[in-house]
Amino acid sequence: MAAYNIVGKGVPRVDGPDKASGKAIYTVDVSLPGMLYGKILRSPYAHARIISIDTSMAEKLPGVKGIVTGRDLRDVRYAFVDTPHYPADEQPLAVDKVRYIGDEVAAVAAESEAVAEKALALIKVEYEIIPAVFSAIEAMRDDAPLVHDEQLEGTSAWEEWGVTKRKNITASSYAANNVSGRTFVQYGDVDAGFEEADHIREDTFELKATAHCPMEPHAVVASYDAVQDKLHVWLSTMGIFLKRFFLSKTLNIPASKIRVHHTYVGGAFGGKIDLFPYEFCAAYLTIKTGQPVKIELDREEVFMTTRQRHPMNITVRTGIKKDGIITAQDIKVIADNGAYRGSGPVVIFLCHGFSFPVYNVPNYRYEGFSVYTNNPIRGPQRGHGAPQIRFSIDSHIDLIARDLGMDPLEIMLKNARKQGDVIPNGDVLNSCGLTECIKGAAAAIDWKNKRRQFQASPASTGRFRRGVGISICSMFSGAMYYPFASAAIIKMHDDGSATLFTGAQDIGQGSYTTLSQVLAEELGIGMEDVHVVAGDTELCPIDLGSFLSGTALVTGSAVKLAAADAKRQIMESAAELLGVDNIGELDAFNKKVFQRQSPDNYVTYQQAIQASVLRKGGNPIIGTGSYKGYEKTDRYPSLSKGKGLFTGAYGFAAQTAEVEVDTWTGKVKLLRACTFHDCGYPLNETIVRGQIHGCSSMGQGQALSEEIYLEEGQLFNASFLEYRLPISTDTPELVDGIVISQEPSGPFGAKEVGEGSVAGMLAAVANAVHDAVGVRIKSMPITPEKVLRALNNPT
Amino acid sequence: MQAIQDKEGVKRYLITLYVNGDSYTRVVKANTLLVNVLRDELDLTGTKKGCELGDCGSCTVLLDGKPVNSCLVLAVEADGHEILTIEGLGENEKLDPLQEAFIANAALQCGYCTSGMIMSAKALLNSNPNPTEQEVREAIAGNLCRCTGYVNIVKAILSCAQQPEGGSE
Repeated sequence: MAAYNIVGKGVPRVDGPDKASGKAIYTVDVSLPGMLYGKILRSPYAHARIISIDTSMAEKLPGVKGIVTGRDLRDVRYAFVDTPHYPADEQPLAVDKVRYIGDEVAAVAAESEAVAEKALALIKVEYEIIPAVFSAIEAMRDDAPLVHDEQLEGTSAWEEWGVTKRKNITASSYAANNVSGRTFVQYGDVDAGFEEADHIREDTFELKATAHCPMEPHAVVASYDAVQDKLHVWLSTMGIFLKRFFLSKTLNIPASKIRVHHTYVGGAFGGKIDLFPYEFCAAYLTIKTGQPVKIELDREEVFMTTRQRHPMNITVRTGIKKDGIITAQDIKVIADNGAYRGSGPVVIFLCHGFSFPVYNVPNYRYEGFSVYTNNPIRGPQRGHGAPQIRFSIDSHIDLIARDLGMDPLEIMLKNARKQGDVIPNGDVLNSCGLTECIKGAAAAIDWKNKRRQFQASPASTGRFRRGVGISICSMFSGAMYYPFASAAIIKMHDDGSATLFTGAQDIGQGSYTTLSQVLAEELGIGMEDVHVVAGDTELCPIDLGSFLSGTALVTGSAVKLAAADAKRQIMESAAELLGVDNIGELDAFNKKVFQRQSPDNYVTYQQAIQASVLRKGGNPIIGTGSYKGYEKTDRYPSLSKGKGLFTGAYGFAAQTAEVEVDTWTGKVKLLRACTFHDCGYPLNETIVRGQIHGCSSMGQGQALSEEIYLEEGQLFNASFLEYRLPISTDTPELVDGIVISQEPSGPFGAKEVGEGSVAGMLAAVANAVHDAVGVRIKSMPITPEKVLRALNNPT
Repeated sequence: MQAIQDKEGVKRYLITLYVNGDSYTRVVKANTLLVNVLRDELDLTGTKKGCELGDCGSCTVLLDGKPVNSCLVLAVEADGHEILTIEGLGENEKLDPLQEAFIANAALQCGYCTSGMIMSAKALLNSNPNPTEQEVREAIAGNLCRCTGYVNIVKAILSCAQQPEGGSE
């Protein structure tokens, strides 16, 4: 491996001083002169027709400046998934009916939050309550009420990007039985594979909805400049260009007339990518009133009306040989996407996408359904499908290992995919350190000595019993989704330092720091010489956005190419000054260009840039670079058939957990969690470890305590007191191992690290509980009630 | 505390807060929260609001040296008291050692909980300059962080503990 000066080092975050001093500006901190405050009126019913809306009383309230209802927006539709097959089904405000408790009905802008709230109370809405459905399995029955009975035309927001228009899709062809999406993938000969097996096992698992819990609540400030005809927007998001695209489509104004300004993002975890009604309404109301409008959601609204992780029922059936080689697998997934499609068809596609890169299964069938219900809307959440599918598959593998009397580690190692494997959709695993991850995580938890130790020892009758478990997982590094690519611009300054212009958004994952390191390393300057301008659609070139874990690989590659471009121009100018004909004889480092043979013959970047300005037509040296979401394809994959290339590189991880179960109370304490993540190459070691800690902590919460409680669509625990994410005193020792596999397409070998290792925690904990007390919990989270019930009724 | 009544009959109170060493006099309603005075009236937006229910700790400030959730303190209750916010740490442009430690130990990611987290840590170290790891974890148990798993935050706070006598620093 090449020795680097800046990448790979744990250099301090460039946003550290801003954030530690309290000076960092988030969307909630933005305040403009004459700003109005917006509030949203929401449905108190899970499913109801809107008979009438009367806003006349609210309009008369002093201080109210603007009101909008669904009747003003009858034709506005949008969605995270918007394809000919899956036409957009969301509207900013409900028109004919409301579909979940919290569904947006009207929005008010007023002089103060208090007046806006008073106005909401004065809006009279007459509803006719209709039957509702709250579970995906019930919703699929023939007699279930239809959540979406409207006829939608099969158009797509991506038509101008070459997606074919397909009209006349009738409602029955896609929304029958409330099915909002289906993915079906099959390869090999599944029946023959099961026949070949010595042992066949089937298990069904259940996962509840969970919340993202970014510490910054969702917020927006929108300000329309009528003179310039420009809409200025500040919002808490993971992808500024995607938000601009959505706003442009829904407001029907050109993208170039909208500017998303930079703010820091106080956590996102997947929950700040969709366009939300409050964002549209703020934009609509600023255009209507001519005054800036700010809308901040309160914590209850964030829990209820932004997005949640999909609850799922997953059945896995596996055929396996006596020696532990998998011969066939059949997976069925049912995901409840709530009242609107959200990312339903994506998550059922991704459950396949995060299943098949892990084990080499020769005969495989996968079927996933996403289903409408009258529950809150579900969307992407860190790992997006990976926690659900990895929990199910690896709990199941652990059970198979028990059936066969084998160590699950052995089954994992025997079936794990390896570097060079071509997986069935055609993606090539050019880097895959999965085996090293498994071995590392197992050694770190002392697998050999700790597994089954407590059942075998006299301590097995004691109150507290310990056990260990393991799970493995995989995650994409970017994919083809709008805007399909990232670009970077590097502007050189007179003094030889550089400013990076990137559309990437630092949502806490440290992208401004790692991208600066890539720039500094490639260009041969120091970190102190890099300045970052980011997250602004006007100043920065397009960026894929900080989701799909593509920032390191995709945006990182664009930045590296831009730095190489700037460096080449500096060298060309320097070559003239040095009297060298071939720039191949030159090298550049530490803001100097020198002759490789005689390093004393050098010019500084400052001199080279000045020479370029004076002699090359005034060129001050601007480097540019761009990189696609996936360099080998110009198509996005088929969500329904799983065909096409998915991602340029898969990140891998293995996670082990040691738990202590209190057999009197059923409480599970996580003692230690070890994660070994194959991130290709750690651009910043400290940041990579920080991502692993964050993923592990989120996985811990989802395994042991986090669950959205819904009763007939009503959320009962919309606060941090009742929705329990890990706090400092219940976080165990987190061991963070980095596996280097050098991804050839990644900048300096880097790929995904920010999402994958949420996923392995769930089965690692469930398997550890089984190891400790001999009971299997097949539903997430593993609450004391479930453990006690299982201990009292051993199967 | 002086009170005046507006035309709608709502009472307003004249309060003086001593924030980061400066005194500020403002007119507030009885139900005005301290956090909103700090953020909206004094432009001290370093103090964040995460839940307005006292659950998350993002709005932690020191009231007479004690950490409080400023979303659970009425502005009138703070009348005449000393308040320290994140903006009041450090001297001039120099950051407080705790702030430096958070940067050096990568104890922040999205940064939204950071102000509250640092203020809770400050209160701990003021009263207990040599805390154990468990004491650190307990001191920040009311401050939620979704990004870091608390690992580096605990490390950063411990690095600011006063060295035992005869220590190198």
